[in-house]
Amino acid sequence: MSSLFGNILKGWTDYTKGIEEGGHHEYEHMWGMVIDLDKCTGCNACSVACYAENNIATVGEEKYVARQSMQWLRVERYFDEPDIDPGAIDDENAMQERGASFLPMMCQQCNAATCEPVCPVAATYHTPDGLNAQIYNRCIGSRYCANNCPYRLRVFNFYSYTDENGAWPEPMKQQLNPDISVREKGVMEKCTFCIQRINAAKDKAKMENRQVTEGEVKTACQQTCPTQAIMFGDLLNPESKVTQAWVRQQIKLGKYKQDRENPTLRGYRIFEELNTDPSVLYLERVREE
Amino acid sequence: MSEAALKHLSETQTKDIDENIAWAKINRDVLRSMENPRRGYWIAMAISVALFSVMIYAEVYQYIYGMGPALLNTSHMWDLYISTFVFWIGMSHSGTLLSAILHLVHADWRKPIYRFAEAMTTFSLMTAGIFPVIHLGRVWNFYWVMPYMTDRGIWPNFRSPLIWDAFAITTYLTSSVLFLYIGMIPDLAICRDNTTGWRKKLYTWLSLGWHGDDRQWRNFRITYLMIACFLIPLAVSVHSIVSMDFAMAIMPGWHVTTFPPYFVAGALYSGCAAIITLFILLRYFFKFEEYMTFPILDKVCKLTFVIAMVWSYLNLVEFASVWYGHDIPSKEVLLAKAYGPYAPFFWGMIAFGMFLPFALLSKWVRRNMKLLFVVSVLLNVGMWLERWMIVTPTLSMSYHPWGWNIMWPGWVEWAMVGGSFGWFGMLFLIFVKVFPCVSMYEVKEMVFHRKRTIYEDVDEMMVLHKGAPTAVEAGSTKNGGS
Amino acid sequence: MANHTAPTHRIFGLFADFEQAFEVIAGIRRYEVPGITVDDVRIKSPIEHPEIEDVLGERPTNIPKFAFVGGLFGLIFGFFFLAGAQANFTVQPQGGKPVITIPSNLVLAYEMLILFGVLATLIGFIIGARLMRKRGPFYDHAVSLDQIGIVVERVDDTQRQQVRDLFAKHRVIDIFEENAQ
Repeated sequence: MSSLFGNILKGWTDYTKGIEEGGHHEYEHMWGMVIDLDKCTGCNACSVACYAENNIATVGEEKYVARQSMQWLRVERYFDEPDIDPGAIDDENAMQERGASFLPMMCQQCNAATCEPVCPVAATYHTPDGLNAQIYNRCIGSRYCANNCPYRLRVFNFYSYTDENGAWPEPMKQQLNPDISVREKGVMEKCTFCIQRINAAKDKAKMENRQVTEGEVKTACQQTCPTQAIMFGDLLNPESKVTQAWVRQQIKLGKYKQDRENPTLRGYRIFEELNTDPSVLYLERVREE
Repeated sequence: MSEAALKHLSETQTKDIDENIAWAKINRDVLRSMENPRRGYWIAMAISVALFSVMIYAEVYQYIYGMGPALLNTSHMWDLYISTFVFWIGMSHSGTLLSAILHLVHADWRKPIYRFAEAMTTFSLMTAGIFPVIHLGRVWNFYWVMPYMTDRGIWPNFRSPLIWDAFAITTYLTSSVLFLYIGMIPDLAICRDNTTGWRKKLYTWLSLGWHGDDRQWRNFRITYLMIACFLIPLAVSVHSIVSMDFAMAIMPGWHVTTFPPYFVAGALYSGCAAIITLFILLRYFFKFEEYMTFPILDKVCKLTFVIAMVWSYLNLVEFASVWYGHDIPSKEVLLAKAYGPYAPFFWGMIAFGMFLPFALLSKWVRRNMKLLFVVSVLLNVGMWLERWMIVTPTLSMSYHPWGWNIMWPGWVEWAMVGGSFGWFGMLFLIFVKVFPCVSMYEVKEMVFHRKRTIYEDVDEMMVLHKGAPTAVEAGSTKNGGS
Repeated sequence: MANHTAPTHRIFGLFADFEQAFEVIAGIRRYEVPGITVDDVRIKSPIEHPEIEDVLGERPTNIPKFAFVGGLFGLIFGFFFLAGAQANFTVQPQGGKPVITIPSNLVLAYEMLILFGVLATLIGFIIGARLMRKRGPFYDHAVSLDQIGIVVERVDDTQRQQVRDLFAKHRVIDIFEENAQ
């Protein structure tokens, strides 16, 4: 009981600080990403790698169509105004030839994440690595976080996929990644920036009594991308490529409106204006016609 | 009562209650309503139990297979569960309105009808409380939202509006159960004095040794007043908090500052409409024509109309503020409500919620019990659609274009929604046979005070015109008893 | 009153006419029975009579105090309980939000205020109204129907007949008597 009340006064001034005053948080790392959309070919290799790395259940066509898929990383396709016959738009096979752009979307690891404060049981929280983490054991599946995610990047285990008829019938269980748990039904899950790889690198660095170096952690999507459109690294490390890209694009964390000197720069963060402060920077010339 | 007698009654009943009604008759009529359920009762009970069984089946199915069969999907994480939850919370506000607010403003016409309204409050809260639990993906861990101390030092997240919901509903349920119970203690004593067998035991236990002396009545009055004073801000805060489930979110169509008053008005509205529905049913089945009178029904209908207009106004304010605010996503959600795939439900809500209440202004409708029953049910259909139209269109059109889609709830969800009515009906049917659903002592008070007021007026006239009568002479004409 | 013996009796009269019963109390106030004051009188009624309070005199209750203390406790305890829980839960910080979030804690403390206020009121009611005790001998079912009862306490032998006479003058229906020793 004494500790229940004792800590209030001790940390009152710290504890009541919001993000505007710096918040009650000292980050060890701030993992960030840069995705060059002009390099993306929409091949979906990143998505496949993500499935393999993170033990994501495949749900089958029927549930995919019902939008109950479990993709942590999806490559969204957007087309220009259709140049095909307007009558044929509903025809699934009538695809237009050109004008597609691809947007690989994974959890944006927002620093002011909208999903975090709404979780009733604090199953989603912010790690000292600047990651927006999900504790599967604690999740009770109220799904408020997914509703409050403007990117729609949280996926829910609508069914159980762990049994014999699920995503991994024997002997496919052998291919599961042992570094990460397999989630049961009723649990929310999402991209973790391959936290198992981050933790492995951190452990190794700690054993060797050094800092995690640039390029030591590679996410599965980054590793797989054939055109190297994805860059990953620590935004607190001024040497890292990611930091340099952010500086080059004149994008700063903790802002919902960037004051850039050069308006022709390609970098942007999705829904920055909602003040979610995402950690993923996209590079593409924004075409406004 | 025959058709002709009813028609006669509808023309002649002009007073809220007949002051000369014998007190023994009040006791008799109400106690009679608690005995010997007839066939209609058992049919209603069977339907309720059947509906509730469907709900249990659906819940077991969902427990085993997960949330998938409800056809929720990545964009529509909430659907009918949450909208029906809001609907039932809304229903619960009527009892508080009738018993607490009208008590404070000394509107004594509430006395014959507030008891069942308050029971409705309690039971709709118990129904509403089911939904946040069953909509959980891992329902077996629902207690994790409660703030209890553990060795691991894990707490719920007090920033989440869902936790506020849990606190608010717990408080509201506790308070409204106590309010219902405390208001019922004198009646339970009457039941104790007039029953035998298990009922006598139950009422003896529940009436806490009430014997009606002045100390008890004085404490009773103050207690009732105090709890009424607690309940009014509580009721407002509960529905404000429920609205914050949406208003605290970032989604267009949810992030609306007018939501708290809008929800409170909607809650009172649907609650009042439900009071009309139950009023008509109880009046018909229990033959309470002398207590649930046409003038009281008129007053409830007018109250409903006024609240409906407040609700409509806030609805229009919401549309207008979205329109002038010119936040593009919010505006598109609003347009999608009106023209998109859910448009029929949206316009149904407008028709039932905004235009149908004008029917309550017609005396012909108010005297036509069958028609009024249908109208009151349709008002609530409109209010249910309103809640659905808050939850679903926003999710089908949020910020990110990838998330745009249309969903239709699965059978599990419909079973739960239907089953909740069965559960509510079951509780209510048990209540009307175990507890008095018209407040006997308060009807007596109403009769006594109204009669006394009349005689006091006469006294004053006599003082003015003929000189004062002696107290004993005046007193002998005022027969308080029967 | 020197010749009065020790008060030994309680008398309970049942009246069908409420106004007559009020007249009995008015009579006692006018000291029609020497030695009996209005403080010795209790009434048992099927309904609540705010107007009788003027006649019976001030008989204060403690319920508002209970409600106030309960509410205050709920507010203060609620806030500090939540803030304390949050201050011990810094292992789970959330992006952009302070650890101790005052607005949300105020919402919850408000709910706790009402919850504890209502519970304290209930306790105050049970204590103040002397509920959950034996009902005592003077109880008649007519009190829960339509008659009003008047109990006069601390009546000694000489006053007994006077009280009975006063009751009879105002058309008493039934009189019960008990030796208090």
